[in-house]
Amino acid sequence: MEVEKGKTAKYLREKLGGIPEQAKERLKEFNQQKKKITEALKDGELTVKQLSEKLEMPSHEVMYNLSSLVKYGQVLVGDIDDMDEYFTYKLNK
Amino acid sequence: MENTIKNITYDALVIGGGIAGGEAALNLAVTGFKVLLVEKDLSVGGKMIMLSKVFPTLDCSACITTPKISEISRHPNITIFTGTEVGNIRKVSDTEFVAKVTKKPRYVHVADCTSCQLCEQACPVSVSDEYQYGLVGRKAAFIPFSIASPKAAAIDIDNCTLCGACEKVCPTNCIDFTMVPETMNLHVRTVILATGFDLIDPKKMPRYGYGTFKNVLTAMQMERQLAPTRPFNTILRPGDGKMPDKLAYVLCAGSRDATVGNPICSQICCMYSIKQAQLLMGALPMADVTIYYINIRSFGKGFEEFYQQAKGMGVNFVKGKIGRITEKENGNLTLRYEDINTGKLMEADHDMVVLSTGVVPPKGIDGLFEGETLYMDQFNFVKQSDPLANPSKTSIDGVFVAGTATGPMDIPDSILSAGSASSEAISYLIQHV
Repeated sequence: MEVEKGKTAKYLREKLGGIPEQAKERLKEFNQQKKKITEALKDGELTVKQLSEKLEMPSHEVMYNLSSLVKYGQVLVGDIDDMDEYFTYKLNK
Repeated sequence: MENTIKNITYDALVIGGGIAGGEAALNLAVTGFKVLLVEKDLSVGGKMIMLSKVFPTLDCSACITTPKISEISRHPNITIFTGTEVGNIRKVSDTEFVAKVTKKPRYVHVADCTSCQLCEQACPVSVSDEYQYGLVGRKAAFIPFSIASPKAAAIDIDNCTLCGACEKVCPTNCIDFTMVPETMNLHVRTVILATGFDLIDPKKMPRYGYGTFKNVLTAMQMERQLAPTRPFNTILRPGDGKMPDKLAYVLCAGSRDATVGNPICSQICCMYSIKQAQLLMGALPMADVTIYYINIRSFGKGFEEFYQQAKGMGVNFVKGKIGRITEKENGNLTLRYEDINTGKLMEADHDMVVLSTGVVPPKGIDGLFEGETLYMDQFNFVKQSDPLANPSKTSIDGVFVAGTATGPMDIPDSILSAGSASSEAISYLIQHV
């Protein structure tokens, strides 16, 4: 069967009968965490610990998601605090 | 899924595209033999390409690996299959093996991919990046790492939501979800096993708290943090993003330890830990680094001087065996250990702990051959049938072994071993025309 170039994802989606449930769940979870973090950063720069307290999210989860958002270019690393311990993070507007 | 069976002929099949496999393939190729190099991962380069620097010279690992990989990738006598697994190998005559290999779909036509990363930017999915050892996320449409070879995108189909965003932005239309696994019967005259090693799963030793305590890392995770293509902007605790200032290394974490089934010395942990400690002293000038060890085995050329250099730089060496690690509320870690010199039980606090995890053999190598027995040694590495006279010969005539597939060794020894394996394979090919 000839499948049009650039539309092959649709072909596989139809062949598999939809999107795998697990992939859908992971995307949903990431989007929720991304939204929470980016919303919180709208008010200004925050450290991982401050974000963790504000969002009531475990600090390792904040760190992981924040680092991923830095990698994807949505968040930037700011300055380090006076104690040279924690960096702040800000939105890449 | 559909399969297509192809019959292809080569002089040599090299299994494993790490530094040993690559070196062996290159030696065979420059001698005029046609080689197929099969790598299960999406990139060749093995573990070495992921390292920051090498010991004891502190040369940049990527700077050594990439020219070599480039030479391997461009050699006209070498064909590379990445994302490919060897199912089984049959010896059909004195001079021929048939290997059944399956190439998993990458969903990207490598030759057409310009590695522009537009697909990565468009992909909405984020999952744990195995090439950064889980410290950060990656997209489902992704280039494995910046110096990957081939440097081309791949689709992680298990996590892909098939939204088609990557296809829409791809300027060369190289993304293709119609790809299916390809099965091939390879007819080869000799086989070189360069299957490398695994690192022990630190969760097998719950006393160290890896996985539970977020500031306990493996040395490979620290290696990524020290590399130029690091996951964070500097060395940070994965638990809360704090820049650490009191780090500890736990040597022999899963090696020289019969309780986890790995009683042998991994040979590389002492030196890679000392290397990392020196690099940390540079990256975090105010930090204290302590190495907890049973014995420092600095047996190679320049190793003892490298160890003394670390001491001179201020790395603290404690002859102590760690019994247990516990976590404090602020994420700091308390190490309870036996001071081997005094016999006393001691405790010390650190804000980050690195486990120097031991080398273990990869699974499934002994089952590769059908109708022939590949002997393994007592620790499940490939047995050398004559370690002194023919260190690369295995129990099967025409099958040779290179690098850490025979047991733990460092990079120079892996390259030497690959040289030996390729020499023996060349000699075998000449004798069995």
